[in-house]
Order: sequence, then structure tokens, then C-alpha cells
Amino acid sequence: MSNTHTNSRTVARYLVAVASAAMLASMSMTVMSGDAEFAGFVENATFVREDVGLSKMRNTVQLEVEKMFDQTGSFSSVFISSTFRATYDAVYDLNDKDYGKNAGGSILLEQVGIPPGVLFPGAPGFSPALVPHGSGLPLPGGDFDNAVNPNAGFLVLGNHLHPTDGGVAFGVPQRPCNIDSRGCIDGYGDSSLNDLRFPEFNGRLDFMRELYIDATLPLKSGGEWGFRFGRQQVVWGRTDLFRVLDVINPVDFSRNNIYDELEDIRIPMGIFTAEWRGGQTETFDDLNLQFLWKWEKFRPNILGQGGTPNIILDAGSFFRGMNNCWDNGCTVANFAGGGVATDFPQHVIGIRQANLPGKWFSVSDGEYGIKLEGVFKGVGFSLNALRFYQQLPVLRGGIPSDNLFTTEVESQPHDYLIAFDIDFPKVTLFGGSADLYVDPIKSVFRLEIAHTSGEEFANTLRPRLFSESDVIRWVIGWDRPTFIPFLNKTRAVLLSAQVFGQHLLDHEREMAPLGPIGMPDHKNNYLATLLIKIWYMNDRLSPQLLSAYDSGADALIVSPSLDWLINDNWRLTTVFNVKFGKGAQKFSDCRTCNPFGPYTATPLHPDPFVGGDVGLGGYEPLGRFLAGPIGMGQEESEFQVTLRYRF
Amino acid sequence: MKFFTRILIGASLLSSLATAMAADPAVVEKSFFPYKDGVPTVDGLVPGTVINAGNADRFQSAVDPVLLQQIKDGWVEITVGETTDFALHPNYISATEAGSVTLGATAGEIQNFVAGRAFPQEPDINDPRAGEKLAWNYQYGYNWGDNAAIYPFYWRYRNLETSKIERQIKFNFHFLNWKHRVNQDPVPEFENNPSNLFRSIYVQVLEPFDVKNTQLLIHRYKNDLKRDDAWLYLGFQRRVRRLASGQVTDAFLGSDLMIEDFEGYNGRISDMNWTYKGTQNVILPFYNHNDQALTLEFNDPDGYGFIDYHGKGDCYANVTWQLRKAYVLESASVDPNHPISKRVHYVDAQTFTLPRTIIYDRKGEPWKSWYICQAHPDHHLAKNVGTGVSIDDCFSMIDLQAKHCTTGQFKGQVDPKLNPKSLFTVQNLRAKGR
Repeated sequence: MSNTHTNSRTVARYLVAVASAAMLASMSMTVMSGDAEFAGFVENATFVREDVGLSKMRNTVQLEVEKMFDQTGSFSSVFISSTFRATYDAVYDLNDKDYGKNAGGSILLEQVGIPPGVLFPGAPGFSPALVPHGSGLPLPGGDFDNAVNPNAGFLVLGNHLHPTDGGVAFGVPQRPCNIDSRGCIDGYGDSSLNDLRFPEFNGRLDFMRELYIDATLPLKSGGEWGFRFGRQQVVWGRTDLFRVLDVINPVDFSRNNIYDELEDIRIPMGIFTAEWRGGQTETFDDLNLQFLWKWEKFRPNILGQGGTPNIILDAGSFFRGMNNCWDNGCTVANFAGGGVATDFPQHVIGIRQANLPGKWFSVSDGEYGIKLEGVFKGVGFSLNALRFYQQLPVLRGGIPSDNLFTTEVESQPHDYLIAFDIDFPKVTLFGGSADLYVDPIKSVFRLEIAHTSGEEFANTLRPRLFSESDVIRWVIGWDRPTFIPFLNKTRAVLLSAQVFGQHLLDHEREMAPLGPIGMPDHKNNYLATLLIKIWYMNDRLSPQLLSAYDSGADALIVSPSLDWLINDNWRLTTVFNVKFGKGAQKFSDCRTCNPFGPYTATPLHPDPFVGGDVGLGGYEPLGRFLAGPIGMGQEESEFQVTLRYRF
Repeated sequence: MKFFTRILIGASLLSSLATAMAADPAVVEKSFFPYKDGVPTVDGLVPGTVINAGNADRFQSAVDPVLLQQIKDGWVEITVGETTDFALHPNYISATEAGSVTLGATAGEIQNFVAGRAFPQEPDINDPRAGEKLAWNYQYGYNWGDNAAIYPFYWRYRNLETSKIERQIKFNFHFLNWKHRVNQDPVPEFENNPSNLFRSIYVQVLEPFDVKNTQLLIHRYKNDLKRDDAWLYLGFQRRVRRLASGQVTDAFLGSDLMIEDFEGYNGRISDMNWTYKGTQNVILPFYNHNDQALTLEFNDPDGYGFIDYHGKGDCYANVTWQLRKAYVLESASVDPNHPISKRVHYVDAQTFTLPRTIIYDRKGEPWKSWYICQAHPDHHLAKNVGTGVSIDDCFSMIDLQAKHCTTGQFKGQVDPKLNPKSLFTVQNLRAKGR
């Protein structure tokens, strides 16, 4: 994944951190007792996807080790906790034509054609055709080298989900990065075959999911300080599935999109927490104050790499194809004149690099949080603040690039040009949560809200094709155990529903002559989930129905499952994960943004020398923000079987 | 003259009030030492008697009807032990002597209660609120004293027909009284108790892996009309979830118990209509732990032996039962949607524990057979000696309809160090979690 130097530096940093923690522990402990506790499981997860076949054959071993120490010195409790996980996903060997060394192939890109005179006065017309990668219309800036970027190992961006349908598309390399390095962004989507087979064994030592020391210091006042140092998960908030306040740790969506337990897909980070636990006070039933410092270098969410089974929003495919365009050039469907497959030379359009921010053990550039949490008159509450890096990537335009219509290599920024770096801006979050029980309706309500400033979003109205927006996100959750006699006479059914809202306060969108332009994200969007869970056989057999509906995307997922606890060791889970709805959606793709005026101007541009979007669009690339993770997964319905043995 | 009249009237009122306020020592003595003048007897039922299918009918007056049927069906044989004195701690008894208590206007209201047994008087079958008074005596009883822990606590889910152990869960249970404390500092209550908590229960699951780190916290308020608050920490979610009241009447972690069953009855007085049905001498699972057949299968590091099980499905604790004085107390839920129509409790008259309860479904049919063994503290762990706490020592909850049972094997420890008040906060659930 990363280079050897980076790996060794990372290892060295962790060793220093772990050794420090161990030394701290051994220095402070005068009495040790009891043996370490071991627990863990081995698991096989086999998923079959419609129209694909095997999409996952994940074999996992997880080991948890915890060592408690007796009261030592001033500390009333000290323990070390660790979780180690190793995974081998055999899908890359058993289905290598879809996800491994033989994935992809040669591609044809759509050319809907244009009449004569569209490109420039006197220009010939172009007939509809399917154009092989590398055989598009060359432009004055040069073509690309087919020997370096051959028509092999590709899939057409988004074609598993939608036709190109007059929009843009290009080839996305599919094979692991040690086999085909095209489109592999250094440090962000550059997994080799072994990285994909064994995802925990990488430069960030992800096999060490948790390793921390925890110490409690009692206070004379009756309260206590709790300290925890090491790689860990810190969970804020009170809701399931949605991450409004639960944003301390980034998330690995490549494991199973949004459908795995967050515990299994949070990416543990090196964090120090100090928590004052006041307990009961004169006013509060419980009052606590937590400070946290993420000392491990920033990590973004893992979205999945082009050529792998789980790519949330299919963003990893877009990134990989765009990086290939930048590094090696590419053929883009329906680009010139809005209808001609066009060859772009390298360093004109695409994604240049990912700029991963942050430093190890940085005080000045660290990520910090503070949480006040307690119970007041029976209502649980928290107030949260976090200064952290946005975990989802933003594409910032305005990087130096070459004008496609000149033979010189200018390397200068061009407004409205789809040439980007991936960045992760720093954002500030303020939020809170509460839970309360409403007796007359026998229901628990969970509330969570957060305001963030500094987040950035795609925006074709802005010259650099992004802009900031403050965002408010909230969730209301409702839980009610309810006796439904025809389902079970003696055991209540859990009904749990949630509504999630997201509001972009600085949303920008306009209607241009050819379609909407601006921010593809919805200004206001709502998702709802419903969980119905039933238990039989003393909770050893549990069917459930989980469904989620994205109103903006008009996308629905229905996921019935059956969980069978065969005994204390064996567990079998079967899941159907079926999606319905509108699927892919269209938005401006900035083909008509006129970055190289007057050459790229259309008759709809009032000043051919001034860039700006007039709204020609298609499914790619920005429609994914309208379709959302459920809509973009429309063709990824699956049957999943997981067998786990615990020890 | 008027002056002297007023003084006499005042003195008379004060005297009357003092009489009302001070419990009669004889009443208190009788309440706490019912066997001082002799133990109950039933013809032929002597220590060492084994009640079985062949002789059960002979002793039907001393056996509750559900257990009697189980014995007659050959599910279990009961060995009778000597009736022994389970004296509660002197501080609890003397606290009873210090005051007198009255009921409020509505169920769930109690006045003038400080500590000790609220209503030491013998219940009167003609008193329409006698059942409620007995319930208060249980609620404010010396069950686990001021605090205690079951540390550890093994639950087994068993098939009554096949004896197969389907599941085993290892817990720690902790109990803390915030108020009405009589023995351990602070007495009589903790400061900084803004919500006026009366009692808390904290439960932590240690095994197996799928439910490890599940934790439960229950807060019961001094104001009985205020609903309990309960929170659950789920290890796989790493979150604290507030529990809806429906979950306290639902199967707890798939067992045959609901949270409301803990300790015999774990709820508010005002949640039930209480009826005193009479006094009866019945066999109840009271014994000396160290005299029982114990199992070392859990490899306790202290060499502690747990109560073993036998009988049909291995659902019955292999212990001796005593003939004891019990108050038959019926509780019926005020909530018509409650899954249980009523419970019939056999309240031990000396300890006011609930060692035996029969649970009826909504149709009025017997649903569950529930007993909690009581061990004498002076014949248990060394740290329990002299605590005056009747030690919950084992349990069996048999679902008669599903032919299933859950058994519980306790290591009860009356040890304040195991139950600091910081353990009973919501934040502790997060701190103890991963």
C-alpha cells in the first residue's frame, strides 16, 4: 500500500506509543493479579450478488485479549485491552474475473454523435458510434499513449448501474494496483492484491484494531478520572446506522458498505481520552466531561477502490478512472460538443493526487474533542464539540493543468476545469444528544443533532468546482418493545425507527439552460429506517426486517435476515439485501463549463472567454450524490451467509 | 384552670403520638423472630424427610400447589431440612423499632419511613391494604443489605425435557441502596442524590462472547410513583440505550426471566395491586450453603462451591427446603397489557424475601414456577458471616408451558468494596464497555 519507509515509520511510531503505554502501566502497577482474558471468533462471510456471483468470501479471525490489574498506587483500576483481527477475502482468488487479477477488459465508449458545425464553424459532424478507449477524437493538446494506457483491464464508469445515455464516461482500471497501477492514488486507493485479500495487514497496522491502556483515578470528592490511551474506538451519540455525532473514528465502507455493525467497520485510531466522572451532583444524576485528542495521523473513510466489490457511491471507481485520466490520459464518452468521444492527454483533466492532512502526535495540528454528558431529571444528554478533518473527500479544482487546445505545457490553474486534488478540510462540529422515555406511549426517543462548519461539497457554480457549506444533521430515533401475539405470545417485538435529516445551509443550485447546476447534494434530505426484530427459542433464533428509505434518492433497501445462535459457540446469519427505487440519477457533469474559453465555449455562454456551467449533464459523475449510497447500490442486491464460531 | 387543661390535653396528645410513633417491641420481636417460641410443624414432616411422588399428597398443606404437582409428576424430590433462624442484622431490626409508618392515600405512597421494616405488625386479612404493606416490607427489606454483589453469577438456559444446556451466561450483579441504609456508611443515605434514588442494580455480562460487555443499570426512585429508569449497554453497539418499560417485562437476554422477576419482584409497588391471601406454613428453599452438595465445575479461584442442580431437566437446585411461615401475597398488574396476569408470592415472614413465586399468564394459567434459594450468611463465605443478610444463593425459573428453565448459581458477597456508588452511574456503562 504505502511505501516501505512509510510503513517502517508507522511501525516505529506505534511501537513507541505501545511501549510508552506498557511502561506507564508497569511503572504504576505494584500488584498484578489474574490471568489475561482471551476471547474471539473465526468467521466465514460468503456473499452472492445478483448478476455477478460471488462478491465476498471473507474469512476472519478476531482475538480479544484483556488484562486487568489490581488497585495500584493511586489508580483504582487499570487494564489493557486489545483486539486483533486478520481477514482473508478469497473473492479475489475465487472470482478474479470480477475482482482480481483478471478483472475488466477492453471497453467501448459511447459517442452519441453531433451534427456538422457544432465543434466549430465548418467542423464535420460525427456519427453515433461505440469508440474503443484510445480511439477518441484527438485535440490540439495532444493524445495519450496507448502503450502506457492500453484498452485492457477496464470497465466503463457506472455501466454496471446505468447506460452512459449521452453522459460522460471513461474507463476505470479494475485490477489490483500491483497488477495494474493505473488510477491508483498514492496513499488513497492503491491497494495491491494482497492488500485486498488481507486488508488488515497494511502500513497502518490495521490488524491491531484496538490496543489501549485504561486507568481510573478515584477522587476524594467521590468522582473519578478515567484515562484511556492507545488505539481505540470512541463512540459518541445515541443513534444506529447514522453518524451524526459518532464521527470520531473514520469508517471502512469497503468491508460491507453501510450494512456491517459500526463496531466492525470503525477504523480504530490512536486517541487519548481523559474523562472526569462526577457521578451524582447536587443537580445532575450523572455528570461527566470528556476530552479527547487524536494523536494518530488523520485517516479518511475507506470508500472502496475501483475493481472491488464494495464501493460506496461508486466513488472509488470515479477516483480511479479520474486519476488514470490525469496520469495517463483517457478517452471520455460524449465529451466534445456534448456527443463525441474525446481523447484527453495526461495532466489535463482528472485527479492529480490525494493530500492527506495531519501529523502524528501533533498538538498544533491535532484533532480534539470535548463532550459533556450526563443525566438530568431522568433525561440523558450530551453536548459535544469536535475539531477534526472531514472524513469524506472533497475534490478541489484549480490545480495547475494544461490547456487542451494549445500545444504548450502551461501548467496553470484553469477555472471550471475538472482537474482536481482530493482534500480533507478541517471542520468544526457542535452538537448534542438526548434520550428520554415517554411513558404514556411506552417509547424511548433518541435525539441527536450536529452543526458542522467548514465542510466542502462539489459545486459547479464555483470556479474551483467546490464550496463550503455549514451543515445541520439530526436524527430522531424511536424504540418500542411491543407484544404482537401473532408473532410471539411471550416475547416482545422490538420496533425501532429513525429519521435522519441533513440540511446544507449554504446550498447553491440554479437552473441553467441545459439543466441544474451547482451543488448536486440535496439541500434538504431525509432518510428513514425501520427495524422489526423478533426473538424465538430463548433468543437463539431471531428474524428481523431492516429497511431504509432515502427520500431524495427515492431508493429503498429491504433486508430480511435470520440469526440463529446454534449454541454458545456457533452462530449462523443469513441476510437478503435487496434494493429498489429510482437508481442512478443525473446532474450537470461540467462538460459545458468552458474551462478553455473560447475553445470550449458553447453558444449558451454569453462571453466565450468566461467559464461557467450551462448544465449539460448525465449520470456521471455527480449524479451519485443525488442517488446516495442506496441508489448507487441499486444493482448490488445480495444474499449473505455468515457462519461464526466463538471461543 | 384553662392553662392546666391545655397542658393536660397537650400531654395526652403527645403521649398518644408517642405511642403511635414507637412500634411495640413485642410486635417487632415477633416479626423478626417468628420461631423464637418454636418452629412450625406438619405431621410427619421432619428434617430428613424426602417428599416425592409417593408421599406428596400427605404433605400437600405444606407445599405450594405448583411444586406439589411437579413432585407428584416425578420431576423432583424435595429433601426437608431443619427450620432455622435467619435473623436479620440488628441495625435493621433496631431501625424498625425507631419509628412507625403509614400508607399514603394511594398505592405507592408511604409516609414516615426512615429505615427498617415498614410494617412489622402481623397482616390482617380484613385490612384491604395488608397486601400493600407486605409489599413495602419486601421493597424496603434487608434483601442484600445496604449493598452486595453476586460475583460471579452463572445462568443456564436448559431444556426441561432433554436437560440440554442451551446457553450459559456469566454475570456480575451489584446492588446498592441509596436510602434507608442501616449498616454501612453513609447511614441512612447518600448525599448528592438529586433524583432521590432509592436503589440501583447494575448488571454486567462477562460471557459468552456474543453478549459480553452487555450491561444493565436500573434506578429505582424513592418516589414509587415515578417510573424506574433503566439503561442497557450493548457491547456490539458500544452504546448506552435507554430501556422502555416494556423491556423490563420481556425475556432478559433470552432467559426465562424478565427484569421484573429479579429478586422475586423487581418493580414499583404502584405497578401492582397487592392482596394478602393469608398465612401458611410451607416448605421454602432455606438452608446452610456449606451443608449442601456443591459443584466445583466453575473452577472458582477461591475454591467456592456453587449449588448444584438435579431433577427433571436439571432444573431444580439440589438443596434442602425448610418448613417456614410465609405470607401468601398476590400481585396483579395494574397495566392490562402486562404479559403476566398475576404472581402469587410466598413471602418469608422472617426475612421478607420472596423465595417462592408462581407466575400466571394472561389467561390465568400457571406459566412459570420461580424460586430463589436463601442461604444463611453464617454458613456461607467468610465475608458474609454476621452480615444478617439472607443470601440469595440459587434460583430456578421453570417455564411450565414452554418446558424450559433458566437456573442461576450465585456467589453472593456482602462486600461494600465491590459496590462503590460510581458503579451505578450511566457513565460507568460506557467506561466499563470497550
